[in-house]
This record gives sequence, C-alpha cells and structure tokens, in this order.
Amino acid sequence: MSGLLNWILWVPVMGIVAILFVPKGKDQVIRYVALATTFITFVLTLVLYAGFDQTIPGMQPAFAVKIPWIPSFNINYALGVDGISLPMIILTGLLFFICILSSWTVTKSIKAYFALLLMLESTVFGVFFAMDFFLFYVYWEVMLLPMFFLIGIWGGENREYAAIKFFLYTFAGSILMLVGIIALYYATGKGPESFNILAHHGGKFVNETVTLFGSTYSFENLFFWFMFIGFAIKVPVFPFHTWLPHAHVQAPTAISVILAGVLLKMGTYGFLRIAFPIFPQAAVNYSEIIAWLGVISVLYGAFCAMAQTDVKKLVAYSSVSHMGFVMLGLSAMTVAGMNGAVLQMFNHGTSTAMMFLMIGVLYERSHHRWIVRPDGTKGYGGLYTHMPKYTTIFIIGMFASLGLPGLSGFISEALIFIGIFNKFTTITVIAVVGLLIGAAYLLWMFKRMFFGEAVPEVKTYADMNMREIGYMIPLCVCVIVFGVFPSPILNIMKTSVGALVELMAKFN
Amino acid sequence: MEYTIQSIAPIFLAPVIAFIINAFFGRKLKSMSNWIAVAAIAFSFVYTLRIFTDFMGVFATDYYIHKTFTWFDLGPTFKLDLGVYLDNMAVIMLLMVTGVATLIHLFSTWYMKGDSREGRFFVFLPLFTSAMIGLVLSDNLLLLFVFWEIMGFCSYSLIGIYYEKEAAGNASLKAFMTTRIGDVIFLLGILALWHIVGSVTYVDIYGAIANGKFEGLTILGFSAAGFAAFTIFCGNIGKSAQFPIHVWLPDAMMGPTPGSALIHAATMVAAGVYLSLRIFPLLEMSGLLPFVAIIGGITAVGAATIALVQDDLKSVLAYSTISQLGYMVLGIGVGSYNAAFMHIITHAIFKACLFMCAGSIIHSIHEQFFNKLGGYKKKLPFTYIASLCCCLAIAGIPFFTGFVSKDRILGDALYNGFMSGNFGLVSIAALFGFIGAFLTPFYMFRWLFLIFHGTPKDQSLYDHCHKEHFSVGQNLPLLILSVFTLGLMFSGSPTGQGWLGHWFGGKTEWFKVLVDAPYSKNINKFTTYERQPLSFEDTREITTLEHAHYHHQSGYYGPNNENEHGIHSAHVWGAIMSIFIAFGGVFLAFLMYFRNSLNPSVFTNRFPRYYKVLQNKYSFDEFYIGVLVQKVLLGLNNVLAFFDMGVYDRIAIDGWAKVNKVIYKASNWFDSVIVDSVAVDGTATSVNVFNLILRIVQTGKIQMYFIVMLVTLVGYVMSLGL
Repeated sequence: MSGLLNWILWVPVMGIVAILFVPKGKDQVIRYVALATTFITFVLTLVLYAGFDQTIPGMQPAFAVKIPWIPSFNINYALGVDGISLPMIILTGLLFFICILSSWTVTKSIKAYFALLLMLESTVFGVFFAMDFFLFYVYWEVMLLPMFFLIGIWGGENREYAAIKFFLYTFAGSILMLVGIIALYYATGKGPESFNILAHHGGKFVNETVTLFGSTYSFENLFFWFMFIGFAIKVPVFPFHTWLPHAHVQAPTAISVILAGVLLKMGTYGFLRIAFPIFPQAAVNYSEIIAWLGVISVLYGAFCAMAQTDVKKLVAYSSVSHMGFVMLGLSAMTVAGMNGAVLQMFNHGTSTAMMFLMIGVLYERSHHRWIVRPDGTKGYGGLYTHMPKYTTIFIIGMFASLGLPGLSGFISEALIFIGIFNKFTTITVIAVVGLLIGAAYLLWMFKRMFFGEAVPEVKTYADMNMREIGYMIPLCVCVIVFGVFPSPILNIMKTSVGALVELMAKFN
Repeated sequence: MEYTIQSIAPIFLAPVIAFIINAFFGRKLKSMSNWIAVAAIAFSFVYTLRIFTDFMGVFATDYYIHKTFTWFDLGPTFKLDLGVYLDNMAVIMLLMVTGVATLIHLFSTWYMKGDSREGRFFVFLPLFTSAMIGLVLSDNLLLLFVFWEIMGFCSYSLIGIYYEKEAAGNASLKAFMTTRIGDVIFLLGILALWHIVGSVTYVDIYGAIANGKFEGLTILGFSAAGFAAFTIFCGNIGKSAQFPIHVWLPDAMMGPTPGSALIHAATMVAAGVYLSLRIFPLLEMSGLLPFVAIIGGITAVGAATIALVQDDLKSVLAYSTISQLGYMVLGIGVGSYNAAFMHIITHAIFKACLFMCAGSIIHSIHEQFFNKLGGYKKKLPFTYIASLCCCLAIAGIPFFTGFVSKDRILGDALYNGFMSGNFGLVSIAALFGFIGAFLTPFYMFRWLFLIFHGTPKDQSLYDHCHKEHFSVGQNLPLLILSVFTLGLMFSGSPTGQGWLGHWFGGKTEWFKVLVDAPYSKNINKFTTYERQPLSFEDTREITTLEHAHYHHQSGYYGPNNENEHGIHSAHVWGAIMSIFIAFGGVFLAFLMYFRNSLNPSVFTNRFPRYYKVLQNKYSFDEFYIGVLVQKVLLGLNNVLAFFDMGVYDRIAIDGWAKVNKVIYKASNWFDSVIVDSVAVDGTATSVNVFNLILRIVQTGKIQMYFIVMLVTLVGYVMSLGL
C-alpha cells in the first residue's frame, strides 16, 4: 500500500509518456490514452479511500513515503495523506477524468493539450501529497506551467493577457510563500526536519522574533501574513481575486473546471496544512481579519456576479463568493466551522465544476456566452423549451451551487454558519445576505437564459448527447447523494480536522 | 402501537417514491404516472389516519412521539441528530396535508389531462407534498428548514412550469427570492438557537425555555430570546406572505390552478404559520406577540382591501389567502394558539376547495375575468354548491368552519386588545381583524355572485360552456371538501359539535383537547428532559399520560388562564359581533352584486384615488422591483462590478505592470547607458518574453513546451541564486 501515493502521482506522468509516443494523426488514440490514464488514477484514489483509516488524526502511516532527495539540504521526497487532503484527492481524480471526457471536442494540437492536462493532474496531486516544503513548493510552481499554456494556447480571444495575469499574480504570491519557507528553514536551524511541513506544526515559533530593516517583529505574525497572502491569492480572497474572472473567461472549459474545482482549493488547503498549524497563534489573533476578508469576498463576489452579462464570468465571481464561505469556516476554528469549510471545498468543487461544464456544453453550440449581449438584446432565452435534458442537469447544478437543502452545498454552508455564529455574530448576519444574493444572481441568470421566447439560433441547438450526459451524471450523483448523506465525506475528514481544531483551541 | 422512525417513514417516503418514479419514467408511464402520484399520497393519508386513530385513542394533551437518529457526527463536541416529532398538532396537520393533497392530486388528473406540462406537473406535485410531510414530521428546526427550502424549490418549479412564458419566469423568480429573504433571516434564528440551546430540536428548545436558559443572554445587543424569536418569525413572514413581503403570492398563480391550490392552502403558506406555532413559547417569552399580532392584522385587512377590487377570479382568491394567513398570524399574536391552528386546517380545506372550484371554472369556461362571467350556476351546479359552501365558510357564517376558527381568533383579539385593560398594538390589530371580518364576506360573495349569479356577460362564451356532469376527478374532491367546511366537524364553539370526534368514540371536543400550546402549564414537562447519550436510534419517548388534563368547564385557551371569565365574555361578544359583521358583509355584496340595487361604481366614482391605490395594490411591486431591485440592487452591482474590473483591476493590479515597466525602463537605461551598452540587446528581448514564448508554443511542437518549461525553471532557479 505504501506505493499507492507514488502510483497516483506518477501514473499521469506515464500517461504523458504514452501520449508522446502515439504517432501523428491518431487523435482518437491520444484521447483514449488520456481517458484511461485519468480513469486509472481515479480508481487509485478510490483504492486510497478504501484503505484509509478514519480514526488516525494525522498522516496515514500506511501510505507515507519518505525518500531523501537532496540530502545536503535535508530535502526529502516525502508524501502523505490525511483526512483533509483525501477529499481533495478524490475530487481531483474525479474531475480530471470528467475533464478528459469534456475535452473530447478539442481539436487544436491535442497531443500537447492532453499531455499538459495530465501534467497538471500530476502536479495537483503533488501539492496535496507533498509533506516536504521544498517538494510542495516545486509542485506549487510547476503546476503554473501547464496552466499557463493551457490558458494561453487553448483559451479565448484575450487568452495571452489572462494567462500572463494568472501566472504573475500567483507567482507573486508564491514568492512571498518562498520567503516564508526559507525563513522557516533558517528558524529551525537547517536541521534534518527543516523542510518537513509536519515537523513545524504546533506553534513552535510563537516566541521567535525576526529583525527586518532594523525593527523587530514577531516571527509568527510576520510570516503568517507571507504565507497568508501566498495562499489567499490562490483562493482567491477579496483584494487578490481579479485574476480569476480573466482566467476563467479565457480558459477552455476543462481548465475552468480544474481551476475552480481543484486549484482554488489548494489555497484553502494551504491554510489548513501550512499557515494555520504552523502559525496557530497568529491565525487565532488575526481570525477576525480573515473572517472579514471572507465575508467581503462573499458579498463582493456575489454583487459583482449579479452585474455580469457573460455567464462564465458570472460563475467565476460566484466562485469568489463561495470560497469566501470557506474562509469564514476557517476563521471560526470550531469543529463545525472547520469541517464545514473542508466540506465546502469538496462541495464547491463538484457544484462549480457542474456549472462550468454546463456552460462549456452550451458554448460548444452557441460560441458565445452572453446572457445579455452588449447591444442589449438577449443572448439565449428559451433554452428550457429547446434543451430539456440540458435544463434538468443545469437546474441540479445551479441549485446545488446556491445551497438548496437536499443538495450538497447547503450542509457545508450550514456547518460553516453554525461554526461561526458564536464567534463572529455580526459577520454571520452580514454573510447570510450572501446566501440571498447568491440565489438572486443564479436564478436571475437562469430566468434570462432559460425562460421565455428563444432567440432564433437557440432553436437549432442540439440537446446534450450521451457523452455529455455521461460525464455529468457522476457530478449529479455527488451533489445529490452528499446532500442527503454527507457522512461518507465528513467521516474521512473529521478526525484530522478535529486534531487541527484542538491545536487551534490551545492558542485561543 | 409502538412507533419507530421506520414505521412512520412510509408517510413521507410514499410520495418521494412517486416523485422518483415519475421523474425517471414519467414519459414512458404517460398518464399512469398521475395515478401513481394519487395512489402514493392516498397511501400516506390512510397511513396518517391510522396514526391519528392511535392518537385519538390516547387522547391526551401532551402526548408525543420523538424518535431520532444521528445524521452525522463530528466527534464528541458536535453531532447532528435528525428525527421525527409527532404530537397531536403534527398529526392533525399531517392528516390535513395528506388528505387535501390527495384530493388535489385527484383533481389534477382531470385538470391537467392533455396539458403540455402534465408529466412535469406530476413530478413536482408529489415532491411538494412529501416536502410538506417531511416538514411536519421534523423534530428540529434545521430539518424543518431543509424541507422548507425544498418546498420553495417546488413552488419555483410549479409557478414557472409554463416556461415559454416570460411572465412565468418572472413570477417564479419573484416567489423564490421573496420567500428567501425570510428564509435567510430564519436561518439566523436557527443559528441563534443553536448557540443558546445547543440544539434546535423542539423538545430541547422547550426545555431550554422551561429551564430559563435564555435569561440574561444577548445577541448583538438584543435579548437572545427576542433575536431568535424575531428572526424565526421572519421566516413565517416570508413563507406565509405576510406584510411587507407578501408580494410573491399573487404572482404564484402563474402555475396551473391545482398547483396554486396546493401552494395556497395545504402546504407552503401553512408551513409558515405552523413554524410560528412550533416556536410559540419562544414568541411568548420574548414579548414579540404584539408585533406578531400587528403584522397579522395589517396583512389581514390590507390584502382584503386589495381583494375588493380585483377583476380576476384567481386574484381574489390569492389576496384572500394572504388575508386569511394574516388572521392566523393575528391569532398567534393574541395567544390564540388552538384557534390559529384550527384556522390553518379550516382554511386549508375551504381554500383548497375554492382554488379547485376556480380550476373547474377556468377549465370549463376558459375565462377568468369577471367581466366575461356571470350566471354559471346552472351550467356548473356541483362547482356552485362547493363554492357556496366555501364562501360561507370563509365568510365566517355560523355552522361553517371559518366561523368556528376565526370567531375564536377575534374573541381573543377582542379580549387582548380591548377588554384586558391594555391598549396598544394589539388593540389596533384587533380592530384590523374586525374590519377584515367585514371585508372578507363582502369580497367572497362578490366573487360568488359575479361568477354564478346574474346574467351571463358574454353570451357566446356561456353558450359554448358544456353543462357539468358529475365526474370523479372534477367534482368529487370539491364535494368531499365541501362536507368538511361544515362547522360540525370541529369542536370549540357553540356551533361546532365535533362530528369528526364522534367517529372516534364520542370525543366531540377533540380539537380543543388535543391542541394546546406547549407553554405555562405543560411546558414544565420539559424541565426534566435531558439530552441522552446517543445510540443509532434513540428510543426516548415521553408519554406523560398522568399529566393529560382536560378541563371541561374552563376549556382554557390564550395565555391568560387566570382571566377565564373575562375571556369567556370576550368570546361571547366576539361571536356576536363577528356574526353581525359577517352577515353585514354578505348583505352588502348581496345588494351590490345580486340585487344590483346598489351600484358599485358609486364608490369607485366618489373615491377614485382610493380605488386607484387599491387597484395598484398599494404599489408594493413598483417600489420593490422598480426601486429596490432595479435601482438600488442592480445599481450597486454595476458600480461594484465596474469598480472591480474597471478601477481596481485596471489601476491597482495592471497599474503595477506599468510601474514595473517604468522601473524596468529606468534600470534598462541605467544598464545600457551607464553600465554596458552591450546589455541592451539582451534585455530588450526579454521585454516580450511572454509573447515570444507564446509565439513559439503556437507551433504545437511538444518538444518546444519542454524546452520552454526547462528555460523557465532554469531561469527561475538562477533568479533564486541571484
């Protein structure tokens, strides 16, 4: 079993190699190789779930991997999995498999496309598995490359601007993070555990200080913010979010799905794995600021979403809003809030993936995404009548996204609110307005696109085909089943999250 | 019989299964799916009837069944139990919901036959009903909220079922969003209770109230009880279409009429009032009741005035629903727990029947405006009989159910508003209640006379209408419900002798005995209640039969039991007044629309401005949609979105790029001129490094990608080294 993480990490790379050997012109073979690779990877993540021991709070010893990599700097190739990363890993496996299916219609240099997509998958797994700071950082950075090219080559009209913006924005955050990592390396005396993420956990730097430009700062407070901004850009939290609408609007469908479904979660995962447990005192001290940033993201994202006339941009802003709820849950630092946050990470992954996939399906038919065109005429209208299957699945995704009870989004949002109400009552009262606006922009968009008279082109659109319905079904099942029975996911995470909450409680 | 979750669940599961079958196989089953839905709900009804029989057998005020299981468990400090809480009120409510829903389903098989949305309709109708059943069965507010929202979704789907119409889209959006305003505030109340009580189960809430857990606590500067009570009551305001967010309900008529019957009568709107009854001890303790009363009073009279001038027969019914819901809320506000609940039941019966009558009329005549109707008594005899019974009931004429329930609400209002010596908000609410009691019979009999009496205003329409022959789908539900508009079915007043109770062994006063607020006397049973350690199925059940009491003489209702004499005389006066008022309203309608001896245009000509105000429905829609939504909300959205992309992103973020460019150019100049002119060539190329990369990779050669990656990585590592 101990090799399982290696397999999950490297099977996509093997897929890349296989794809590179496929002779020219055999596009269909490339697609099937990519599909098989992601399917095997997804099955492996399920094997990981099957072998997962839910009672262990920390890293699963059965799966841990630790091989010296650069011994002179005490850098290890260390992998691990716990209850916080496992839901993300399963989500990653599922979404990449679905994305290959949804990318079936890509025709532009598909060899490179699928190779980069698989590379992206491997690096995403790497980020969630890495238990060594250097390895984590390498994967965090390498992940930018396939993203950069996938947006920059296969994207929309303004793709280069969006790709560069995405790259530079994230890169700026990474540099702050890198400074933090190097600072930790020195603070721990360059010892054998100095790149070990887990060894830093538990508030070991509470009393350390650091001198910068002649004045002395608390090590913990200063580098918490370095880490925080690095991850906050990825989430994205309010003042660092403007790359997201550009990237989403320009990215091809599959990349939007991965971006919103998985990559954003790496930011909040970073809080859970690095920023909070390593700097617990600072996290507790600044939890109110985090909560305020969260609630601003919730409302600001929602209000901006409502003003959009491009449906993909609307959903992109809705991601800002929904990830704000995750920040709220994190700032609560209670059992309900933290579990709710991790569950929201998973649930947002499935529901927002549905939304982006559905928009992609529509885009393939209409080649535009205007709810209302710039000249004021409506872009669609009447989709309900002309695409009934599409509408049914869209409704499931949309209501999951707006947090209808019975679908997955509600439980995580309710847990987050239960967790935070006691601590930040005012913020909670403001944040529930987000639920209201969240319903408003989605349903208003739905009303404008699906009800009423159709514009002439809509009548020519074909309803979803079997392939499209096929890859939507797993997500539909996810949002419905986990809306009614959230226990399978909560059971995975609750011990690990509980340990983190206990750690945070010590500094409260 | 010993009940468990498994033995109660079929009530809820039967319609859910019908929903699933119809959702997946509806197209194959065709009209079979209609009968699957009817059968499922009928099964739920029969099953509920059996439980009701058992409750009648126990016949104790404070008997209840509470069964839970753990939904999820997040460790020792947090777990969420869900369960079933069945007390007398819940069972009676269930009986009403399943019974009325069965008849509505039966009616729908006739009404929807051949409709383009027949299949769709029978997908959402069972789901809607099951959500309501689940809501009534819930043992806690969070689970109630789940079903509450699912019902919101179902009403959204039913209202927007004719999706090719622009208006259907607007109406469904409006209904969902307006009720959601109440819902999110309600959610805050749930959170507050969770924070105070540590659970949102009814028994825990009652226990916390009995144990004084709320005392001295504050939330955001308000008393904890007041905060919780107000926020939860906002849920009621939204769902039961109370002033000031009642605007969604009239638009909800966009859906098929049987759907309106379900929304307006048995399920959604009743759920709001049911919620307030569930948290009645909290409302009472927090001192919010006068506020509740005034909201109810304003709604009751405001909606009734709008109903006076409507010229669409469904519109009158919609506003009468709002008005009657106002009475229920008024009843809660004046502490008339039993009567408010009875009004839910009686209103559900006569309003479901009225909406089905409307459906029957519209489907037979294909017209719903009064200026085309008239004289249809002979053409639609069964519908006429049912409509007449319902109008008598809603008008509050003695021997009909509306009188039994509304008269007692008015009696309590009279007592609390005028005879208890305290004048204030409640007095105004009571006054509103009596004004509404005059308007209700007037507009309902106007409705009846304009449709069924007089001469047809459109003769060709009249001639084309076929004479109604008795059919099971069209008429049976109407006639069954008409029977239940007779006051004899319920007890609680001199005119009702509770025949329903006769069937259960002579328990004629069953309604009065079974339904009593969990406050004062019997809330104390919850003080001994403690949360128990959890197992999969918690079998705790408190059957305090020895506490079961029923005072034949006093028959208390209302919070002021010590003033029974005063209440009694208030009820006598209230009854006398409301009889006169009701007959007065009927008589005026009779003069104006039956005898035509009083021309309605006398009023419209003399008070054109007031008439206009009523016709505009007090301009709520214009204000909410025209000003609040379109100006304020969309304005805010546009400003923020412009700020985000046009200002913040362009200046603060892309501005950085400009700044960097300047710095770069400066350093470049420094580099080239001062340091080394040779370096110019090298740096100049890196200006366009990203463009260059992109231009290269556009060739699509995979080798290039790896070279680019390698270059980037190496460059990056080198920059680290520097």
